[in-house]
Amino acid sequence: MTQILIQGFLLSGLYALIAVGFTLIFSVGRVLNLAYGAYLVIGGYAYFWLSQTLGMPKIVGVLLAIVLGAVIGISKYRLIVKPLKGDHVAVEISTLILAVVVQAGIVLLFGDASKILHPIVSGVSRVGGATVTYNILTAAVVSWVILIGLYLFVRFTHLGRALEAVSMDVKGAAISGVDPDQMNQLTWAISGALGALAGVFFASYTQLYPGMWVTPLIIAVAVVIVGGIGSILGTLLVAHIIGFMEVISTSLIAAELRGVFTMLLIIVVLIIRPKGLFGRAEL
Amino acid sequence: MFATVNWRHLLLWAVFAAGMLLLPELVKKGTLRTIIMAQYLAIFAMSWDFLSGRTGYISFGHPFLIGIGAYTTAILSYRFGVPVELSIPIAVATTVVGSVLFFLPALRIRGSYFALVTLAFMELMYQLTQVIRPDLTGGTRGISGIETLTRGAVNGFYLSFVLMFVTAFVLWLLSRSRLGTALSAISMNEDAVAGSGLNTTKLKLFAFCVSAAVAGMGGAFWVHYLGSIAPRALFDINFLFTIIVAALIGGASTIIGPMAGAFFLTFLLEYLRPFLPGAERYLIYGGIALLIYMYQPKGLFEIVSRLWRRA
Repeated sequence: MTQILIQGFLLSGLYALIAVGFTLIFSVGRVLNLAYGAYLVIGGYAYFWLSQTLGMPKIVGVLLAIVLGAVIGISKYRLIVKPLKGDHVAVEISTLILAVVVQAGIVLLFGDASKILHPIVSGVSRVGGATVTYNILTAAVVSWVILIGLYLFVRFTHLGRALEAVSMDVKGAAISGVDPDQMNQLTWAISGALGALAGVFFASYTQLYPGMWVTPLIIAVAVVIVGGIGSILGTLLVAHIIGFMEVISTSLIAAELRGVFTMLLIIVVLIIRPKGLFGRAEL
Repeated sequence: MFATVNWRHLLLWAVFAAGMLLLPELVKKGTLRTIIMAQYLAIFAMSWDFLSGRTGYISFGHPFLIGIGAYTTAILSYRFGVPVELSIPIAVATTVVGSVLFFLPALRIRGSYFALVTLAFMELMYQLTQVIRPDLTGGTRGISGIETLTRGAVNGFYLSFVLMFVTAFVLWLLSRSRLGTALSAISMNEDAVAGSGLNTTKLKLFAFCVSAAVAGMGGAFWVHYLGSIAPRALFDINFLFTIIVAALIGGASTIIGPMAGAFFLTFLLEYLRPFLPGAERYLIYGGIALLIYMYQPKGLFEIVSRLWRRA
């Protein structure tokens, strides 16, 4: 029981970290970035290359992976999303193509085989019969810090409120002197950075392989849909629902069924409440 | 744009069929095998296009439909010894029933959310085939040694060509009808279509069922061409990507577009094989697809017809 509780909380923290960057784009940019998973792959591989192949200090690897994620986020916005002028279908399809291209690029550079990432923070302790690696503990703590930081940023800073204004009404925000283009670019940068960071932790939690973008993308989609667009509280809560469902089904039912409940949750919630549980408005 | 059917169209179809049927005399066996793959891809792309290209409901779950058809016939014929003449029609019927499941979310949700639900359906199917009754589905490894319908590349080519041609012709006739016009109108403004007294629910259901029937048929014949089936080859984002890209690169909501796109992409992939043997091919393939799509979202069909008009 304690084991399920502890592992559930830790996994949920990781999932919240994965989902938060996706939710940002969905709420501010109003587009579905199917290449979101590519940040995780790029972040994971960048960290792997920098710290395990080149032997740089771990923290430098993490920071450079984050910077790379932000740069890719901005270029994605500049080169793909902006020229398509908010055409949702076109953005979805071109980001899907991009995700496949990134996966192929990774195969070309690093090969098809999966790689084991050394934990970013090593060490293990046992709490009430549960094994807690410091690695996933760090991921959970970092995730909480980022979510709270993001909430405070959106609520209390000028920039954050401008960001929220764009997510509510682009024209209204523009009239009040906010540059939606700049805000979008900022959002894509933050989203990319968070995605890359999540990728480093996710890769060290599971494995590093070129196709590792699909599972996190589905988790992010589930969290955003069930939690509702633009709700940080919803993101946090639903990440815990999904995390706990996975831990419970892994330890009590069957490990193979862990993803099934996530899919069923997406389908059922969307059919019953198309706006999600805490959603503000539909896309 | 919606001119009725006249003899000139039929003549073009006849010339197309005659030209294709001559191919086994002209090209090598290896090329013929590539053409067969392209023809099955064309069937899947047309199926996707009839639903998503026309009505604007983007389906990210077409492998789900193709998979139902393929698995139904594979299980029936391999595990229970049902003759293929019976198992394929059952597979098509099952796929249509499955598409109604697919359809339920579309009653309430539109746009990006619909795409996401269908994506969830595909992943759900992928995980379920491995877990539920692996004695029937073959689990992760899938089933191999399924009865094949044809022997040799030439016979395989004739079968897949007939399937593709009939599909294309029927879908073309449908799109020329008033029904096709109404379906295209849904992608422009669904509320306006409902406002002009048409039952959009019935229209959408029709499009779903036609699309599913084509996908199920294509999947069923495909599995009897390949002789094997595995979940990761089928319920895969790369497979989905190939179908969608074929339809879009060729030109959505046309008939010739998805076919041309399927041939273009299959041959591109084949010509890249000597240089890049593995999954790296998708880098160039995807890059070209992205460039064409960003340059002209209406695809090669539009690019060619613009050049035609200018000339």
